[in-house]
Amino acid sequence: MSAPLASEEAELFATLRVLIVDDSAEMCRLLVALLEALGIVNVVCAPNGDAGLKRFSEFDPDLIITDGDMQPMDGYEMTRRIRAVHAGETPGRNRDIPVLMVSGHVGRDTVTRARNEGVTDYIVKPVTPGLLYERLRAAIATPIHIVETADYRGPSPKRRLTARAIDGDRQY
Amino acid sequence: MSDSLSEDDNEAGAKRATDSLPARFVRIPSIAERKLGRDYTAPIRLDPRVLDQMQKTIKTLAATYKETLVGQIASLLPLIEAGSADAGEARSRLYSIAHDVRGLAGTFGLAIVGNFARSLCGYMEKHTDLDSMIIRFHIEAMRDAVTDPAPDSNLADETLRSLERLIDAADIDARSFG
Repeated sequence: MSAPLASEEAELFATLRVLIVDDSAEMCRLLVALLEALGIVNVVCAPNGDAGLKRFSEFDPDLIITDGDMQPMDGYEMTRRIRAVHAGETPGRNRDIPVLMVSGHVGRDTVTRARNEGVTDYIVKPVTPGLLYERLRAAIATPIHIVETADYRGPSPKRRLTARAIDGDRQY
Repeated sequence: MSDSLSEDDNEAGAKRATDSLPARFVRIPSIAERKLGRDYTAPIRLDPRVLDQMQKTIKTLAATYKETLVGQIASLLPLIEAGSADAGEARSRLYSIAHDVRGLAGTFGLAIVGNFARSLCGYMEKHTDLDSMIIRFHIEAMRDAVTDPAPDSNLADETLRSLERLIDAADIDARSFG
């Protein structure tokens, strides 16, 4: 059962389409349930980056929540392909879609890789309700700033990306 | 989401994405603006009723998750010897389960289990030659923390520090004899 929300936010969440890409069935179940608690019911799941790209094309989501490590295609490569400009590499409709990566890794290499491939925001597991709600709302309420070059279109890969964690944020 | 520029311009990925300058900067209205067809500013505070509902959702899922977790930890035990012997399917499976526990246990109030799993994953990520004893101690610590949680969190923390010291000692041994 979803909570009573301020009408504008409820209206927004009711129409939001979210794609979850995670190879953990438990994690998918958790995220779907938490999104439902927010009143977001248009949610589909995919177990890896390959399936995620297919779902991205078919479902045309407003937002992607993805894991990092997955086989055979991980969340970084999936995001790279979504952001890629060259024809044939972009299978979906909205290349500028916000991508929230939810990962167990917090190292500089991992976070900077996520940033370079076009991830919008980075949440470190474990996920908490407050963190998920806050970052999801930021993703949909914030204007999207895109840098476009000959072979890339997405969030600036030179910006700082903050890894949001319950025990404190880390900026890379 | 910060858009400020960082100093690490030399990173390969960042270079790759911006080498083909000139870059064009585009501002796209937020999803909320596009969906609602009007300006939208999110309230500053998160709605406490929503947070409460989300917490209730987690409590509802927690019982089922604990059963899953007990099963996952039990499935780790038979993988220890094969998983430490070589980097084959057993090691991959062992890491995958530990990775899953690392990501989820904390959400359901089992932070110490997640921390043991984090330590195990870190050990497996940084080492190619694995010591079965170190893996076993981690898994047993996870199992005990779920089935027989210590009444004193300091004890669990001390167990975690002991595991980390064990890994450090193995590193020293490896350097000495490597």
